[in-house]
Amino acid sequence: MSIIVNLDVVLARRKLKLKELSEMVGVSTVNLSILKQGKVKAIRFSTLNAICLALDCQPGDILEFVEDEN
Amino acid sequence: MKNLKHIAAFIAIGFVAGGITYLLKPYYPIKFIVLFLFIGFFIVNILIRKSLIFKKYFTSQYNFLTSKIESKHTYDIPIDLMFEKAIEVISNSQFKLVDTNKETMEVLAISKISFKSWGENIYLRFEPNGDKSIMYFCSTTLFQSYSWGKNESNNSVLFNEIEASLTV
Repeated sequence: MSIIVNLDVVLARRKLKLKELSEMVGVSTVNLSILKQGKVKAIRFSTLNAICLALDCQPGDILEFVEDEN
Repeated sequence: MKNLKHIAAFIAIGFVAGGITYLLKPYYPIKFIVLFLFIGFFIVNILIRKSLIFKKYFTSQYNFLTSKIESKHTYDIPIDLMFEKAIEVISNSQFKLVDTNKETMEVLAISKISFKSWGENIYLRFEPNGDKSIMYFCSTTLFQSYSWGKNESNNSVLFNEIEASLTV
């Protein structure tokens, strides 16, 4: 996939655990785990907004576009 | 409220069954025994439906008293996460989560009692496929050989809810 989710990197920088983020943004840990692995079908603006607010970051810090070799 | 509905249904069944058996007993002993066995079998089915231990009984191809459909769905999610995801989706859906077994990666849920059905048992089983997971779905009626489309409906409802839940 050409969209890379760097949620684990941002979490590590903030020294936060997924469970803590889950409590902060009101999204289940299962959903955040799936998001972290880049396996979700889509992400809502409201979720992105909540994550950016909780982690004090920009959407670009979490999502990255990498061109496919194909 | 749900419990009240179930209790009311049980009382109604017991009342009708008890009344009929009481009336038949002195005059039609064979009919009484058949009715007793029929009702007993129904009650046993209700009692054992809420455990994964009896999965094979309900899903067996030789159990002609139940109607069942099976399907298979592949997800691009590791099996552990998919197992948790399914439990989360069922907990937030119209189905009631009844039993889970993380060792065998199995989930049992039941649907509501309606005019068309006594409620169906929904069995999910997960198998790993590399980084992906395969979900085996089976919806079976409790005690009727025709589901009136409820099994098919359960399949599409659960599948759609899982798909929808993948938008976070």
